[in-house]
Parts: sequence; structure tokens; C-alpha cells
Amino acid sequence: MTRSIARTLALCLLTATTLWPWSATAQAPAGRISFMVFGDAAEKAAYEHLVADFTRLHPQIPVTLVHIPGQGDYRKRLGVDFAAGTPADVVLLNYRRYAAFAAKGVLEPLGPALARSRVIKEQDFFPQAMEPFRWQGTLMCLPQNLSSLVVYYNKDLFERAGLPRPADDWTWDDFLHAARVLTRDTRGSGRIDQYGLGTEVSIFRLAPFVWQNGGELVDSTAAPTRLTLDAPAAREAVQWFVELQTKHRVVPDAVEEKAESSESRFLNGRLGMFLNSRRGVPTYRTITSFDWDVAPLPRRRHRAGILHADAYCMPRVTKNKAAAWAFIEFANSLEGQRGVATSGRTVPSLRLLAESPAFLGTDARPRNSRVFLTEIPFIRTVPVAEAWVDVEELAGEELARAYYGRASVDEVIATAIRRAAAAFKR
Amino acid sequence: MRSRALCPRRPPRPWRPLFNTLAFHTGAVGVTIVFAVPGLWALTASLRAPGLPPPVGVDWLLPSPLAWWNYLRIFEILPLARYLGNSFLVAGLAIPLTVLVASWAGFAMAQLPPRQRHALLALAIVIRMIPLTALWLTRFLVLKELRLIDTLWALLAPVWMGSSPFFVLIFYWAFRRQPAALYEAARLDGMGALGIWASIAMPLARPATAAVSLLTFAQYWSDFMNPLLYLKSDDRYTVALGLRVLQQMDATNWPLLMAGAVVMMLPVLLLLLLVQRAFSPAAERGLSSPAQRGLGSP
Amino acid sequence: MALSVGLAFTAYDGLSAPRWNGLDNFRELSADPLFRIAAVNSLVFVALTVPSRLVIALGLALLLQRARRGVGLYRVAVYVPTIVPGVAYALVWLWIFNPRYGPLNLLLERLGLPAPAWLIDHATALPAIAFIALFQIGEGFLVLLAGLREIPENCYHASALDGAGRAATLRHITLPLLAPWLLLLTIRDIIVSAQNTFTPALVMTGGGPYYATLFIPLLMYETAFDRFRFGLGAAMMLLVLGVVGALIWLAYRAAGGFGYEDEV
Repeated sequence: MTRSIARTLALCLLTATTLWPWSATAQAPAGRISFMVFGDAAEKAAYEHLVADFTRLHPQIPVTLVHIPGQGDYRKRLGVDFAAGTPADVVLLNYRRYAAFAAKGVLEPLGPALARSRVIKEQDFFPQAMEPFRWQGTLMCLPQNLSSLVVYYNKDLFERAGLPRPADDWTWDDFLHAARVLTRDTRGSGRIDQYGLGTEVSIFRLAPFVWQNGGELVDSTAAPTRLTLDAPAAREAVQWFVELQTKHRVVPDAVEEKAESSESRFLNGRLGMFLNSRRGVPTYRTITSFDWDVAPLPRRRHRAGILHADAYCMPRVTKNKAAAWAFIEFANSLEGQRGVATSGRTVPSLRLLAESPAFLGTDARPRNSRVFLTEIPFIRTVPVAEAWVDVEELAGEELARAYYGRASVDEVIATAIRRAAAAFKR
Repeated sequence: MRSRALCPRRPPRPWRPLFNTLAFHTGAVGVTIVFAVPGLWALTASLRAPGLPPPVGVDWLLPSPLAWWNYLRIFEILPLARYLGNSFLVAGLAIPLTVLVASWAGFAMAQLPPRQRHALLALAIVIRMIPLTALWLTRFLVLKELRLIDTLWALLAPVWMGSSPFFVLIFYWAFRRQPAALYEAARLDGMGALGIWASIAMPLARPATAAVSLLTFAQYWSDFMNPLLYLKSDDRYTVALGLRVLQQMDATNWPLLMAGAVVMMLPVLLLLLLVQRAFSPAAERGLSSPAQRGLGSP
Repeated sequence: MALSVGLAFTAYDGLSAPRWNGLDNFRELSADPLFRIAAVNSLVFVALTVPSRLVIALGLALLLQRARRGVGLYRVAVYVPTIVPGVAYALVWLWIFNPRYGPLNLLLERLGLPAPAWLIDHATALPAIAFIALFQIGEGFLVLLAGLREIPENCYHASALDGAGRAATLRHITLPLLAPWLLLLTIRDIIVSAQNTFTPALVMTGGGPYYATLFIPLLMYETAFDRFRFGLGAAMMLLVLGVVGALIWLAYRAAGGFGYEDEV
């Protein structure tokens, strides 16, 4: 009882100190700034709330929200913007993508500003989220969230099939068993119309499974020169992943996936489990036809998750740096992060907020949000390097070849390693 | 040109015309069906409720329930009305500008002596040949210098060359076919080139203007590459980008995607129907080259 | 244009100043398997579509050349796919080619014919994208219509008098007189085919499956705008220009020059 009082008090104090400096800003930064984000409609709404909250407190800094729906287009748009010399004043970047920009020195390091800030401190954040955004020792961007890969599952389908709720320490075998039970022909048409599992076929999804089996993606995460998917442990994980389609057929094949995407099937109640990060929550909250929840990734020899993190970055060419920083600071304070967290989109990078009822205790789904927090100590990252974008993409193409049964696992691993070697050399 | 003067015509056999007509209409209708069916399929697909399990047979008739609200939904998910507005703005602005530039160029070309005319003709053809992909990068860099990135003006850049040498050629043919005597008379009256162009050449070239207007609208309405490269703010997007955004939001939501496609196709098709008199045989003569008049036609 | 040529010899990422690196870009391209695949795909596409489109446009022009009742409607129908916006066109065909739910495969199955996976199958993806280009022959159709109208009636009368049948008329009168137009259209089509693959490839397959529909314009776009390697993109463009120019020159020589220029 006293603990929760103490905690609430701490929260109140923190909120108070967050709000305090605002009143003392006589010569406050002012001027219009632009803020560029990606995400679907529900995510966009969350950011609109953030902007509204900020403008209420800082009416002299109007914020223009620039929203790009697709991640792929977002990257290209950002590249075009930087080339044109007109990027937004504050941009949202994923840790997997920001390396190219950091390497070219077009980002303004935010570490010094954070150190000077009276509102937020580095220790307030989860270190696992901060780490990837340190470029050669300096903190470049401020992460707003961190999430691992989790399993979204359709509770109604589980119940109807007589399956128990996924246990917190369930294994690959339990996972596969559940997927098999849930893959059936429900309409008696002779064709499977309900699949047990769905996932994007990419290295990014494969990685945690490789790590859990004791394998590694590359020879060195800090300075990768070679893909190491041919090592026995890694190869075994790749085989297992690929066999989900080629042998057990618990996931849609190429034709089915093209006809209706796995995520769409999940949204329409025709998929038992879907692998995704916290990103999916705002959209999944719109589901009304069935109940769903999240479970941790199944385990193997080790526990491992994979980091998903987006951060607020400031381009070096931003004219009104003070105003931009004011926005970034607010967005990563308790007040700012709370708004976005309520939309369900993020697992806040501020520890206090993540462990507070604002994230954990809401009535909104997923009820089992605690899973996101328990996974954090085991989160690992992919290499943060310029060449990694190319490598991930070409290795993903090779993986898809094997996944959809067009080539053998050994063949694609060999090809991927060969092609990646060329990419790393650049 | 190989020809013989006044060849007597052999009377055709009596049943041939009927057979010909039948064969013709069968063939033509068959062709029309093949060309029109994709559009029909898109329409029926757009009226199906999203999220349902797949159709079991081909929907030749309209599906039931008729999910006409799909069309409303796409306006909710995206600011599609704004995208449509932007597209109309760009295409609408492009038409008069293009007609102006292209008709001027065509007019000028028609007045030149044959040598220069052929040179310019060859130039027009050569320009037509430059792959657009070659221009992306440079145009992007130029526009970046001019600070026109993310403005709708960037999309109108091709207008200054008449949007396409093909349009210049259309006007060129139209003007060539106009009798030189009219021009002579006007010149004797003291009219300058601009006057001749405005009061004689253009009014007589109505079919050409109609055709060029339609094609210009279609070109700018459909433009995908340029908005993709040069626009970045959501509120400047055109319909082409809007459809792509729709596809990225939910790549397999076929009913909504088809609804979006239908919405994008409608204005152009409507315009085509309005202008289709330009395709009828009577107006064709306005588009043809002078050779026809020299030999054999009334 | 000159800027593009210059860019081809630099390493320019749009963020920092261009760095001159001579022929490195070209060397890299010649070693890059993706570039080779894209080049082959583009060439195959051109080889598939250019002759077919010409034949179809010619056939339709011959069919619909005379002023008859209803011909206006038929001509409009033929022109419609050309005028439909590219993105919408690609999306509609994406739906039609859908292997599980698309109307085409449902129809084929109903008729008992094989229903391939079209855009997902490595073997049929490129032909599928080539197929949809066959419908967009509107411009060629109009040009040939105009060309056919130029042929004086007298020539037809003369040949009828000589007792020539339909086929002979076609071969000896119509085609030779249409030759300059056909050549023009061939040249134009070669160029257009080299770049019209962008929108369908982007919207329908994204270059897949496994690079089966990776064409040069798409690769150029990705290289320049996704990987920020504008210099490399410009180098690709130069190579493409060179190849297109070579193809055009070939076509020109094969047809023996333009001829009849003064009638254009």
C-alpha cells in the first residue's frame, strides 16, 4: 500500500517538475516546427494528440505534423528530403535506419541537450533503448519506445480448440503444437481457410529464433563482416522457421499470402497467432469480433527478443533547434509519452511510465502488457551499420525463397552469405 | 507515290456486305468485351464487403450485399477528397497551358519552310524518345535548387515543353490541313501571327484541341512518378499517390483498393466520353495529314 | 541531361557533395548481379511487348478503319486502357491476377484450364506484366488509323482491279505505305517499354518474386532514392540510354530509313 502511495507521489513530483519549467520560460523558444512520422491511421491519431498536448503548453511553437503511412516510402521520403536540404525539424527514425544518416553527419546529436535538460535525465530511460542510438559514443536520438517481438493470439480460437493459454515459458514445441491445432478447414471446402500462425518473412523476424537457439546472425554485431547463418545453431533455427511453411504448413503459403495477408487474416479472426511488435496494438484495438491478447515468444535454449525502437532525431539543418528540442523534450517526458502510450502504440522508454498503470493497468487490450516489460532484459539488437539495410533485404529475399519452398535451406544460406559479403565490403 | 488515275470500281458481290458487316461487328464486339472486362471486374470487386471469406465463383453479377459504402470508407481512411482536389488542380491548370504551348509550337512549325520543318519534326521525335527515367534525377536536383520540391508547381514542369511532342504534332497536323488561302487573306488584312493563330487557326482546330485537352488531362491525372518523387506533404498528394498510400495501409483489402481505382478512373473515362466525338469519322479529317486531301477524297 | 551524364561518374548521396570516382560506378554495375538481372528482364520485356503491341495495334486499326455504324464506340473501347491512370490500371490487374480470389483464375478454374500463380510464380510474373501492356495500344492505334487514312482509295481500287485478294492487298499496298508509321511506332514503343514497367512493377510485385520483375527503372529508383546512391543511378541511366539508342538504330537500319518523310 505504502509502495503505491510512494510511487504515485513520485509520479506527481515528477509531473510537477515536468510542468514547472514551462512557467519560467519568459524568453521561450518560439516558431513553427515540422514533425515527420510514419504509421497507420491509429498511430497517426496518437501523434496528433501528442502535438495537441504540446501546443497547449507551448502555444508559441505551432507544430505541423507530416505523416507518411508506409515505412518503405518514409525512408525514401526522408532521403529525398535530406537531399533537398529540407527535412522536417523533428523526424522519427527507427534504429535500423538511422545509421546511414548518422554516418553522414546530418543529424544533430541530442546527448548534450539531454545532459543539460532539467526535465528528463538519461537514467530515466531503459538502457536497452538508448544503446543503439549511441553513434561512436554520442547519443544521437532520443528513443520514444522499445518493444520486443511478441505473439498476438486469438483467445476465442484458442478456447474453441481447447488449447490452454500460452504459458509464459512456453517452448517452440508448444508453439508449433498450438499452430497445428489451429490450422484447419473450417468451411469444409477442402481448402485450409484458418491458419494457426502468420508472420512477416524477414531476417528481422527470424533473428530472435536464431538467438534463442544459441546462434548468431553476424560475426560481430558492432562491426559485421559476415553473415553467420551457416553455423549449426543458426542453421537449425532457419530450418525450423522455414519448415513452418514447407513441412508443417501452419502458415499461409505464397498464394494464400498474396490473396490475403496474414495480418488481415488475424484482424478478421481467421488466424490463430501473429508475430508483431507493439506497433500493431492501435489497429488491433479496433477488433470487435473476438478477444485477443499477447504472449511472449516461445523459448528454446535461451530467451531472446529483438529490439524495435523508434527515436526522435533532429537534422543538423534544422533552423529552430531550440524549439525543436523543446518538442523532443516534451515528447519524451512523462506527460508526452503518456499520451502516445495510451493509444497503445508504444511501450514507453521511460521506465517509470512503463511500469505505471498508464501502460500496464489500463482496461484496454492487451491485458497482458506486462509481457513487453518482462522481455526487456533479454532484448538484443541487429547490427547498426550502413550496410545492414542492404544485407537484411537481400537475406530476406533468400529466406523467402526457402520459406515458400522454391529453394533448399542450405542453398539460400550459401547465396545469402555470398551476396552479403559483397554488401559488407562496400 | 504509286497510284493510277481514276480506276473504275468493280461492283461488289451482293452477299458480301452482309457477311462483312456481321464479321466486323462480331470481331469488334469481341474486342470491346476483352478490353472492357477488366474494368467491369474492378467494379464488381469494389462492391464486395471487405473482410469476408473469398468468393467461391466468378461474380459476373453485382455481389450481394452491395457494399456501396466502400466508396465512402475510402474517403474516411484517406483525405481522398483533398487528393482529388489536388489532382484536378494540377490537371486543370495543365490543360490550358499545354494547349497554348503546343498549339503555338505546332503553328510555328506549320509555317516554316519544309527544310526547317523536317528538322524540327525530327527534333520533336527525338525529344519524345528520351526516356523519362533519364530525367528523374536531374529534374529532381534542378527543382531542389529552385525550391519547388513539395509544391504542385513541380508537377507542372513538363508543361513548358507542351507536355509532350505528340501534342505538338497533333496541332501541327491540324494546322497543316487548314487551307493556306485563309492565312494569306488574313495576312493581307494586316493580321500578325498571333492574330491568325487566335482567330483563324485555333477555331478551325477544335477537334485537335479537344483531343489534346483530353490527353493532357489524362497525362497529369495519371502522373505517378513525379508526385512520388517531388511531393512529401500529405496535403499535397495527388490521387495517384493516394492509391499507393491506400495500398500500403492494407495491401490485400481488395474491395477498398478497387473502389479507389474506380474513383481514380472515373473522371478520365467521363472526359473521354465527352470528347469522343473527336474519334468519330467526321472529326477525324481534322486530325489527318494533308496527303489525304491531295488524292482521291472529295 | 548533361548533369545526368556528369553524375554517372560520381558517388553522390544527396547529403554531401559529389565525389568524383571515375568509372567505378560502371565497374560496380557490371559486377552487380542485380543489375544484370534487371537488364535482362527489361530486354525480355521489350522483346515481348514491342512486336505484339504493334501487331495488335495494326490489327485493330485495320479492323476499325472504315466509318461504320458503331465504330466510334469500338474505337473508344480500344482506347480506354491507354487512358486509364497507370496506378489504377496496375491495381486492377493486381486484383485480376490474384491467384486465389482473382476473377481470372476463378474463370480459368471454372473452364477447367490451368490457373497459374501469375505474379507469385517466378516463371509467369514477367509475362503477366508484359500481358497487361498489350492492352495499352491506344496511341499506336490512333497513329495507324491516321496512317491508314492517308492511303489513297485509288491504290485499293487499282489493286482490286488487278484481282488482288485481301491478303495480297495487305502485303503489297497497305504495309509498305504504312512502313514509316510502323517504324515510328516501333521506335517509340522501344523507348516507352523501357520505362513503362515502373508503375506496374512497383504496385504489383515490388520487383519480386525473387527479382523476376525487377526492371531497370525500378532498380534505378531504389538505388538512387532508397540507398541514396544517385551517382550509381545516373550510371544506370546512361547505360540504358546507350542500349535504347542501339536498339533504335538497329530498328532504323532494318527498316531502311524513314522514307515518305514529306508526307508526314
